[in-house]
Amino acid sequence: MTQLLKIAQSWSGGDVFFVTTSAAVTGGLDKHGRSYVVGECNRRMLMKTAAVFLKCARIVLRERPRVVISTGAAAGCMICFLGKLIGAKVIWIDSITNVERLSLSGRMVRHIADLFLVQWPELATKYKKVEFAGTLI
Amino acid sequence: MIFLTVGTQFAFDRLVRAVDDAVGAGLFKQEIFAQIGESEYRPRNFDFSRVLAKYDFDNYIDSSSGLIGHAGMGTITAAMDHNKPLLVMPRLKKFGEVVNDHQVTIAMMFEKMGLLLAAYDAQQVADRLECLGAFCPVARQSDCARVAQRVRAFIAESIA
Repeated sequence: MTQLLKIAQSWSGGDVFFVTTSAAVTGGLDKHGRSYVVGECNRRMLMKTAAVFLKCARIVLRERPRVVISTGAAAGCMICFLGKLIGAKVIWIDSITNVERLSLSGRMVRHIADLFLVQWPELATKYKKVEFAGTLI
Repeated sequence: MIFLTVGTQFAFDRLVRAVDDAVGAGLFKQEIFAQIGESEYRPRNFDFSRVLAKYDFDNYIDSSSGLIGHAGMGTITAAMDHNKPLLVMPRLKKFGEVVNDHQVTIAMMFEKMGLLLAAYDAQQVADRLECLGAFCPVARQSDCARVAQRVRAFIAESIA
């Protein structure tokens, strides 16, 4: 979220909502737009993952976003796929933590993303449909 | 004052101990304050707190002359945002400090760019600490505006 908020000016003026994994992250978001908390999950927690997925699906159906922007991970990835299903454009910004290869969620979203940015130039040459526009630090 | 922070989520005894040993052996003279989080090792040669409130944490960063931490993006970003010299030691999988060794790669990339100092094991900590006072991170131009512009243009084009 820290990396994402560094480009807040890219969506200023638009009707924006946020989906985060924990309430701790939501703290400073009030000034940016309304937010939803869906909870943490990962591949090893099947039931939790299903619950998060349902929450994400409900949010996407209610809000019907036209554009989804995410830096990951699991929940972000779900919203990207769900958003794509209802016709949203998907923008993915792979976290700067991924130096040598894309994140797991990034590797999945790459196939459906409309704009896929990485923060290391080397990654843009290694993967197709991947663009380097600069770093968010 | 040098601020040592290892985050509040996971222990990083190896780093806290290495810094404490360096100070104990007289190899590092500057005052240190630490946020040790879940670490079990208790430093004997400087003051510490387990968890600092965000306000206090920010104050320690602001008033420090340098930072020591793990090679996590939170720590690295904090150092860059505040233009502080930073020494990192990557957490390693073999010590159960993290799930994979991505921090080693991160430390190497940022070290190569001249943005921080890195110690890859506890033995290197004392030596690198000595360099911290004189270390000036390379001046860096932020790309945030450029990335934001790229995304903004894309959004405008998508919903037109």
